[in-house]
Formats: sequence, structure tokens, C-alpha cells
Amino acid sequence: MRLMLYNGSPRGKGSNTTILLKHFIDGFTATQGNTVEYVYLNNVKGHAAAAAKWREADAVIIAFPLYADSMPAVVKDFIETLGAGRKKPKKTAKGGRVAPEKNPPLGFIVQSGFPEAIHSRYVEKYLEKLAGRLGSRYIGTIIRGGVEGIQVMPPYLNRRLFMAFSCLGRHFGVTKEFHPITMRKLAGRDRMTAFKQGMFRLLIATGLADSYWNSQMKKNGAYERRFDQPYQP
Amino acid sequence: MNIIILNGNPDAGNKSFDRYIASILKELTGRGHQARAFTLREMNIRYCIGCWTCWIKTPGECVHRDDMPAVYKAVMATDLLIFASPLVMGFMSGLLKRANERLIPLIHPYSEISQGECHHRRRYARYPGLGLILQKGADTDEDDVRITTDIYRREAVNFRSSLRATFLADRPVNEVCNEIDAL
Repeated sequence: MRLMLYNGSPRGKGSNTTILLKHFIDGFTATQGNTVEYVYLNNVKGHAAAAAKWREADAVIIAFPLYADSMPAVVKDFIETLGAGRKKPKKTAKGGRVAPEKNPPLGFIVQSGFPEAIHSRYVEKYLEKLAGRLGSRYIGTIIRGGVEGIQVMPPYLNRRLFMAFSCLGRHFGVTKEFHPITMRKLAGRDRMTAFKQGMFRLLIATGLADSYWNSQMKKNGAYERRFDQPYQP
Repeated sequence: MNIIILNGNPDAGNKSFDRYIASILKELTGRGHQARAFTLREMNIRYCIGCWTCWIKTPGECVHRDDMPAVYKAVMATDLLIFASPLVMGFMSGLLKRANERLIPLIHPYSEISQGECHHRRRYARYPGLGLILQKGADTDEDDVRITTDIYRREAVNFRSSLRATFLADRPVNEVCNEIDAL
């Protein structure tokens, strides 16, 4: 199977999306004969060339971090490039529209810094519709929250996360599907339980929830200015 | 009322959208509002690169040196911020989205629980209400409008604000301005 993988992280190579994809690819390529073509979408100048390749693949995955509740602008720009390459949709006898072409199945991976899946559920609706718009079967959207910070976490805390992505990749490499139970486990609950909310409130009240940011700000000598309001009218 | 419109029409050839925005501005001004639009495609706006300089190095200030500071200043001084865009592939243009996600320096990295969910804390005491003006394209249907509106209702919460109204650009200018008056 030839997989076309689009990495939509604006951070590119050093991103959390890249780390998650690495484990997905490890699993995917465990099946002999599977190959991956990998493109970073933060290179906007490369969009036309990247879009030209997607029809040749057996399956396509677009992965990105949630940016302001949807896809990063680099990903939206790329979607527009894909759209511009379509043939015009034909009207059916009943007045409905059918996609004029059949394209490889399309799946998505959306990761975010928020702990709950709910934040990514809205762009998921868009992505599902997008697949149809592009004439592709919709494979699904892998959603994972709480990803920001994985680069500073001790490895043992990430082990299960990475293993899940590797399992998803391995399963995908054989079936061209996202394993539903692994996907559901990765996404977790849409909203925090009342208990978890209480725990989180406690972390906030004690300042522990802010400690990651505080250490980063202190390292940069910005801690004292953390409440600056440079655009206060 | 003070009103800022971010015009995310990426296509100078789509004159009908720009004309619509111009008529809205004219009507709002005629009604005594302070209304102003930024035509994003004519501005130098770089992509957010997720570096978080605006959160952990120069709090509230973006690392990029481009045309966004004028937008920040206007946004923080306005009562209503309208994201305006033709729907392209069923969503806001990439151009609008690019300016949209550059607004992140205006909020704070710290988290809090709001409406039972984790959101970022405010950096400023007051944020403008949000509105949308969307233009349907040849392949747009009601689902696209709903999906986009739902996403921006979420985005408004993260902007510590609320989505006050969604307008379609095929509605009479008068009607739209009546509704803006009533906000």
C-alpha cells in the first residue's frame, strides 16, 4: 500500500504531530511492501507539487494540530489547492451534485493541547464532509488531546500513547481502516468528568496547572511580564 | 458602536463580495457607527508558526513583524469583530484563517475551566463580540454554513467572547445592519 502522508503542523519537523506520525509510520511499514510518501505542508510553496501527488496514492492521511478550533491556515490553503485541481461537479438528474472523480480514501489525525476531545469534534464534522467533497471515501479522524507537552514528559508517560499510534498504523497498513476501539480510547471522553474537572480546578487553584507555562516564561525572563497587555486601548 | 470587519476574500476577481462589504460599511457609517474593514489579501500577514513567543517570551506580542499589530490594536478597541469570507471548500478562506489564528497573542496561556471545559484565560478584561459574514460558493450548502458557524461558536468561547450573529452575503444590506444595530 502506498500511503500519502501530509503533515499539516506549522511547526514542521520539530512538531508534536511529527512525533505521533513517526509511531504511526513505524506500525504502518511493519507490513511488507507498504511505503510512505511524506510531505510537510508548512512549506506553502510546495503545495502545488504536494497536491499533484495525492491521486497516485492508495490512501491519504492529513494530520494537523488544532489551531483556533479548526485546521491551521497552511492546511486550509492546501485544501484549497486540492479543490482547485478538481473537475467541476456534475449535477445529477435529481438536482443533487456528485463528485466527478474518485480519489483515494482520505483520513485525518487531529491533535490538540486541550485535554478533552470536544474541542476537535467540530472540525471533525468539516473533515468528514471534505472527504466527500474531494471524491474520497472518509476513513475517519483520529482525535487526541493533551498532546502539547509530550516533548517535556518523561518517556514512560508517553509509552502508551506512542504504542497506540503504532497499533493504529499497523492496523491501517493491513486494512486501510483506523481501528475503532483504539481510536475511541485515544480520543477519550468528549468532556471531563465532574471529578476530573474538580481535580483540574484544584490544579489551577494551586498554580500547578500553570507550572509548565511558568517554567517556560521564567527560562525566557518573561515571567514578570506575563500579564502584559500591549494592545490595551 | 465600533465595528471591525476582517475581509478574508482571497480573490480580487470576486468583486461581489468586496462590494457587499463596502455597502455594509457605508450603511453602518450612515447609521452613526464607527465601522472599518481590513482587506487581508492586500496586507502582509504571516502564518502562525506555533512558536509561542507571544506566550512565553514577549507576553502579548507576536514574533512576526508584519501588518498584524494594526489589526490587534483595532480588535482590542472594537465592540464587534466580524470575520468575513467567501466559503471556499466549505469553510472560511485560508487567508481569513491565517489572520484569525494570529489573534492568539491576545489571550493568555494559562488554562481555566469554563462551561465545563478547559479553555485559555483572558489576557484583557474585555473582548469584542464576534460576527460572521459568509458568502456561499457554487458548491456551498446549508451544512457548510452550519459547520462553519459551529466552529466559530467554539472559537468565540476560546476568544473569551461569544458569536453574536452569522450573516449570509446574499441578504439585503439593510436587514443585516438592522440586526447589527440590535446587538
